[in-house]
Amino acid sequence: MIIKELEQIKEKLDEGYYPQWVVTDPEIYKLEQEKIFGKTWLFLGHESELKESGSYITRMMADDPILLMKNRKGEIKAFLNSCSHRGTRLCTEDYGNKKAHTCPYHGWTFNLDGELIGIVAGNKVYGEKMDKSEWGLRPVPRVESYQGMIFGNLDPNAMSLEDYLGDMKFYFDIMLGRSDGGMEVRGVPQRWIAKANWKMTAENFAADPYHVQTTHRSATEMELTPKDPLYASYGHQVVLQHGHGINVITSATGESANKYQGMPEDMWPMFERNLNEQQVEVFSKVTNFVGGVFPNLSFLSSGSGSEGVKHNHLNWRVWRPIAPDKIEIWVWYMIDKALPEEYKEKSYKGFLATFGAAGTLEQDDTENWARIIEASSGSMSRDRKLSYNNMANYLMGFDNVERDENFPGPGDAYPTCYTDHIARSMHKYWLELLTKESGGED
Amino acid sequence: MQELMQLSLQEEITQFYYREAYLLDHRKYREWLDLLTEDIQYVMPVRVTLENKRGSNLNHDMTYFSDTKKDITMKVERLYMKSAWVDDPAPRQRHFISNVMIEQTDSPKEYKVISYFLFKRSRSSEPHTEEIFGEREDILRKVDGGWKIAARTVKADQSVLTVMNLAMFL
Repeated sequence: MIIKELEQIKEKLDEGYYPQWVVTDPEIYKLEQEKIFGKTWLFLGHESELKESGSYITRMMADDPILLMKNRKGEIKAFLNSCSHRGTRLCTEDYGNKKAHTCPYHGWTFNLDGELIGIVAGNKVYGEKMDKSEWGLRPVPRVESYQGMIFGNLDPNAMSLEDYLGDMKFYFDIMLGRSDGGMEVRGVPQRWIAKANWKMTAENFAADPYHVQTTHRSATEMELTPKDPLYASYGHQVVLQHGHGINVITSATGESANKYQGMPEDMWPMFERNLNEQQVEVFSKVTNFVGGVFPNLSFLSSGSGSEGVKHNHLNWRVWRPIAPDKIEIWVWYMIDKALPEEYKEKSYKGFLATFGAAGTLEQDDTENWARIIEASSGSMSRDRKLSYNNMANYLMGFDNVERDENFPGPGDAYPTCYTDHIARSMHKYWLELLTKESGGED
Repeated sequence: MQELMQLSLQEEITQFYYREAYLLDHRKYREWLDLLTEDIQYVMPVRVTLENKRGSNLNHDMTYFSDTKKDITMKVERLYMKSAWVDDPAPRQRHFISNVMIEQTDSPKEYKVISYFLFKRSRSSEPHTEEIFGEREDILRKVDGGWKIAARTVKADQSVLTVMNLAMFL
């Protein structure tokens, strides 16, 4: 049985090895749908995407289409995007504004609270057994937000979003809560399909600055990034609860050449007002934040630009699993509302040049993610008995990096980003969820 | 006479696009750069699915790229570096360009040209080939007796792109 095989994996993970067969195994994929994507908090969107009453956006939670609407009270509600009559997909648009949604099949109509308010010829064709109040849209059991980030959870008994995020909230506050007026999503997310497994892309962002100097070497060849092969290692890798993690990348001096990621000086007092002392210390010195919220939300806050002026940009991405070897990538670009328009434009251009489907850095990432799939789907790589030593190596920092007690932020901080601490933690949490008994309390 | 002029213009511009496609497909990116004016605006808005009553279903607030000549030059030069893994080994690529429609503009030296594109790519020994298709809206400008692209808006038909990256030029 697969659970028995998974139990054997635990030993391997504890030793810093990761059995290659779990990457694309179809049985694992199925189990992940149930035990991970059916139980954890999945990112749905940002509050700035739903501006007024009637605004709606459509999203996916793994394979479930979701309709998010803002009701008359300004609350955001999320439902399975499926008519309660025959299961037809109710809304096929990406976004818009409506007072009510009508199914094109038989005309059932739902209001902004998901209530069934209209049935064609209702009085003439239905009897007493039909109670309209029982046939509203099926809500996503749990919908909660933190710093404007809306998450959904299919498990009604799940811990709260804030408990799930845990110490990640400290870092969310810096990236999302530093400015008065908060953040806004520009336009819509970019979306495309890549040949990759969601675990590997999530790990790439959350846990792997080590890939930067090789995968993105062309950026160094173009003299856009430093020649020092350790440049992405400076700073701290911070392991957080529930498989989350963040790399707080600084520089060889331990500080960024551009305080507050190059944001305009007249905003600094605002940051210092909105953040606590420890957050200010982390934020003032950071060059890049790159990390992830388990299972499949990642983020990067980086800077681009020349002539010594850096423009900070922040992007969030969901790696939506479509198949063991395929994902849909969603990328949102966000910016502080309070920034001047000119800065926003430069930041946006810096983001497009480096990340997103056409970004030069992301292009080389996609190549490597595809290569993992191509070499992890055969009899040797997928052998569950590990007869071919078909295990990936997660030994970096295993026995040679000690925790840094002096790091100002919460979490287990290690004084280098070239280490596999977050990756090992992610994979252990993944295993914990997969092997957890169904139906148990947290 | 007018009609003959039109036909020769149609042929000239179509040939220009074939030449452009040839340069891209054969990875002669620096030569391709010479076909772009210094002030080119090269933009690819995100396609979205919206109710028809909203009009356009292109979102210009978010693009896949909004490049100037300098930005494009950077991307081109990167492809000549040793470590642009996405292009080495190079995938095989074809730009199929058709349905060329030419409109006059206010300037006698410039035409607005719409063309359809189908881009196919074969990467490594992967049996599945990637594709992306749609239309391009260009401003072509006559410079020193030859055509150059002064603006291009790439409008893909897929709202979820079925290429693993946009490392190609469209």
